[in-house]
Amino acid sequence: MADIAKTSPRMLKGLAPRPMPSGNPYLPQTARVLDVIRETATIKTLRVVLEGEDAMQRFHFEPGQVAQLSVFGVGEATFVINSPPSQKDYLQFSIMEVGEVTRALHRLTAGELIGVRAPLGNFFPYADWLGKNIVLIGGGIGMAPVRTIMLHLLERASDYGQISLLYGARTPKDMSYQYELADWLKHKDLACCLCVDKADSDWPHKVGMVPEVLKELAPSPQNSLAVLCGPPIMIKYTVETLLNLGFAEENIVTTLERRMKCGIGICGRCNVGSRYVCTDGPVFTCREVRAFL
Amino acid sequence: MPALANNELRIVGFLCNWCSYGGADTAGVARASQPTDLRIIRVPCSGRVDPLFVLKALLNGADGVLVSGCHPRDCHYGTGNFYARRRLEVLKRFLPILGIDPARFSYTWVSASEGQRWQKVVSRFTEEIHALGPAPRFEAVEPLAKACSWTQESKGPVSVISPELLEQLKKAIADKLPELDCVLGWQEGRDLLHSVPLFIRSEDDLTKLRCDATCHNNLVRYLPDLKGQKVGIIVRSCEARSVVQLLQEGLISREELVVFALPCQGLLDLPRLEEALGRYQRLEDLTLTETTLRLRVDGQERVFQTADFRQSRCEQCPGELPAIADQSFGDFSGQTASQTLPPELAFLDSLNLQERMGFWRACMERCILCHACRNSCPMCVCRDQCIAESREPHWQSAEASVKEKFFFQIIHALHLAGRCTGCGECQANCPVGLPIFALRAHLNRIVSELFDGYQAGCDPKAVPPLLTYSQEEAHIHERSWE
Amino acid sequence: MSSDRFLAHTAIGDFLEGLVQTGYTVYCPQKEPGVRQSVIFAPWQKGLPISLEKATVAPKHLVLPQSEVLFRYSKHKESAEPAKQSLTLDANEIFTPTLLFASRPCDARGFAILDRPFLQGLFRDPYYARRREALCVVSLTCPSGCATCFCHWTGAGPSSPEGSDILMTEIAEGFVLQGITDKGKELLLASKLPEAGEKSQEATKARKAAWQSLSPVQDLSTAPQKLAEIFADQAFWSQATQACLACGACTYLCPTCYCFNITDESLDGENEQGVRLRSWDTCMAKQFTEEASGHNPRPDKAQRMRNRISHKFSSYPENWGSFSCSGCGRCVTHCPVGLDIREIVLKAIHAKTAQQNEKETS
Repeated sequence: MADIAKTSPRMLKGLAPRPMPSGNPYLPQTARVLDVIRETATIKTLRVVLEGEDAMQRFHFEPGQVAQLSVFGVGEATFVINSPPSQKDYLQFSIMEVGEVTRALHRLTAGELIGVRAPLGNFFPYADWLGKNIVLIGGGIGMAPVRTIMLHLLERASDYGQISLLYGARTPKDMSYQYELADWLKHKDLACCLCVDKADSDWPHKVGMVPEVLKELAPSPQNSLAVLCGPPIMIKYTVETLLNLGFAEENIVTTLERRMKCGIGICGRCNVGSRYVCTDGPVFTCREVRAFL
Repeated sequence: MPALANNELRIVGFLCNWCSYGGADTAGVARASQPTDLRIIRVPCSGRVDPLFVLKALLNGADGVLVSGCHPRDCHYGTGNFYARRRLEVLKRFLPILGIDPARFSYTWVSASEGQRWQKVVSRFTEEIHALGPAPRFEAVEPLAKACSWTQESKGPVSVISPELLEQLKKAIADKLPELDCVLGWQEGRDLLHSVPLFIRSEDDLTKLRCDATCHNNLVRYLPDLKGQKVGIIVRSCEARSVVQLLQEGLISREELVVFALPCQGLLDLPRLEEALGRYQRLEDLTLTETTLRLRVDGQERVFQTADFRQSRCEQCPGELPAIADQSFGDFSGQTASQTLPPELAFLDSLNLQERMGFWRACMERCILCHACRNSCPMCVCRDQCIAESREPHWQSAEASVKEKFFFQIIHALHLAGRCTGCGECQANCPVGLPIFALRAHLNRIVSELFDGYQAGCDPKAVPPLLTYSQEEAHIHERSWE
Repeated sequence: MSSDRFLAHTAIGDFLEGLVQTGYTVYCPQKEPGVRQSVIFAPWQKGLPISLEKATVAPKHLVLPQSEVLFRYSKHKESAEPAKQSLTLDANEIFTPTLLFASRPCDARGFAILDRPFLQGLFRDPYYARRREALCVVSLTCPSGCATCFCHWTGAGPSSPEGSDILMTEIAEGFVLQGITDKGKELLLASKLPEAGEKSQEATKARKAAWQSLSPVQDLSTAPQKLAEIFADQAFWSQATQACLACGACTYLCPTCYCFNITDESLDGENEQGVRLRSWDTCMAKQFTEEASGHNPRPDKAQRMRNRISHKFSSYPENWGSFSCSGCGRCVTHCPVGLDIREIVLKAIHAKTAQQNEKETS
């Protein structure tokens, strides 16, 4: 650890303490599914409770940190914990069905057991953002990490400037967290804007791709910082728009997704250059990872 | 029936939904007594039964496997069982080389109305399996570390391409190059003894071209990846057969290909040569004639007779170049057909079933699953979609056990049935020297026996035997259940 | 008191037998017949002949097996409440003392290179740690270089002690064994081997001769920076990898490659009982980084080769301060198409960066 810190002090700043059950980072904690929420045709949200007395109380994480969820017999996959750290009743994950593990996760029902290795990775450095305007941008399933940092920031909104959210999806039906959108829209500390690529007739919000709508909103780069999560193609164009708006590369924060196996910086899959998404990320500034976007 | 309680064996039956499955039902309805060892898996057609189903069952603890489909000409889908008949017969004859008793596998035809016949088949097969007893488990057999010599009395010389011929070839390539994306050839590698593939894209690249007996890589391996580009390739007899086979299967396009053919008398077996050379630091000079290889190594002169280090695969060369060349260079009259048995296969032939299984067991202990065999095979065209690594379907466990490694080798071999052109790259590139070419050579022998001497890659117009069928098979005979 | 000991050629069997008696599983290079002779580290038993040749496959499987069980899982129904499932996870914790005999300094250096990410990172890998602690490495110094190895380019040499507990050097009638670590010294002091005495000087002479026989050193010190500079040079990497077959021979034979996969394997077909396995994986395979969505950050072999070379000569050095290549040359010897890592790195060092190219053309 000392050696890493020497060569990359920036990346490991303020890592949260990580619980390691019986000292073996490969051994998951067990958790029971509390609730399954169907979000869209391809996305479900799981709420899970760690097994064992006080397990939930003793579990600490920071917004942006991820978990490796196991369906035993099928395998593991990585998801951001998208409930805010203040939520002590359950951990929430939103899962898009794309492969073997996510398919198995979608089949789960309340009461079933899964494995959780968490928290892994770094987190949004919100303590460095005090007093700044925060522009949150989420696209599709990328709203999940944005949700956790947004809820976390709103809990301490007085410490920040204007907090705004631009949340885009393909169609109104592809929007997750529909049951929360009304609250977000009328939240006193949040300037919330929703957009879809293709609207139906009764869509009251914006229509257009995220980068286009962002251009229209034109948030000021003054004393501001943008947090951006979404599919690779959206990230690419939205970063361009932000740069054009005058945001500096170090003021654009994004999360990277890579295939992960060990989650602890060894197995060699998720590295971008010398950085490992699972330990040095998933949160990076655009300056750090521009070449890999 | 003998009393089977307490000593039941595990027999897996793959039964066609349209006939045998009904036949088993008919037998049951008629209250015909049947042994209870059979575990039935219903399949839509005997043609659906991949030979790998059978081998997976046999490797994972089945004592016997029975496949039963509709009688020939009665297939619900018209022709499924015709294809099945060819595949399953090849499979049955393949089993002994693995050390598996072929009597543990049978295939037959039972229609939905033939309850009695079903009873006879299942009773008879179960009796036979009981006579054999529980099957030996691959992971439990005693490893047989039998030392064996792979060298083979060699008759032939090795290839030397004269400087004039090489210039002629270079000239022809230079003329063609403007209309091609690249031309595949060979060049000097880490030292004079080692040649590596060369992708010729410019006149400058062309100066590096080398085509002698040290050039062992089968360049055809690259062709399917270059689809859509216009590519030239230098071939000798073995590469030419690989080209033909890929054309037969429609995996490459003739229009995109320009074939430059060279004669070949034989190639050097570099691993054996390296072994004879021992550890060296610098190779300073090399002179190769048809009969002598002269090297200067760390200041010392070493002389080898090429006949002693000719590749054993060259002893099985069918000789003649298939009619595929766009341009030919040199004299092909020296290429004669030679049909000796590969030494690996002759060695395995000399062992009994138990010894063979023990031999493979010992081999698999040192297989590291690097997949160099698969990835250097010109016929392994699935590339990143190989079932050995897929999770869906989940064919293989990632466990590096001897059983899983052996199953991988079986997958590779069986997917080459009737397709292997015998270039031997699989074996030549195995870092730990596993004699896996024997599996392919044995399959080639079976295919030749069953299908009138068919050899893969010799005739661009021929249909590979496992991609077709005949209603009456000349060399496949239905077994009797009497 | 010097712990240097002398082991006569004729006494190897007895020495190893003694180690077996004290509870070690002893791994020795053993010659395996085949179409190509291979030398494999395999458990030694009394009477088995041993080889002193460099092994075909590096001995990293002693700390990172080709596949190993991380834990077993089994699901049960709770008797009080049958609808409720419970789960048991059992991790493998048994590791036996192992002695590796007659590995080469490049093999041993491989362990030192693996130690950093497995033991000194944010997380300590418990499986690796226990195997490593239980391992004693006795390395045979090389009498000369060979046609493909290049340990001296990577900061080591034919008698480098890094990663070894004991170094043995062949002299006229046998070997001088020199304790490097406390573990090694203790083992030698506890052995019945005679003291090496003046033979130690003979060994020193043999080692010096080995160094002198090596080919000239190539300076790779600028490799980390140069590789970072040409990271985005797609043409360079495509050119360097066009012959690559994307097999895993280079990575699996390598003493320092440690990429692995983690998969679940059901033991009952129904996922009620099964194992989570860790197994060797290769960064040269397309599936290695392919995500379930089909997105792949390293879709072409050029990017995968770039990752492999950069990891060894640029990003690992950036994180850990040394190359992750011990120069054993196995990847060069056994590459089916003769790709030569030395050539690629040297080419990278001498490659012109985009800026330099621009300057020249303007």
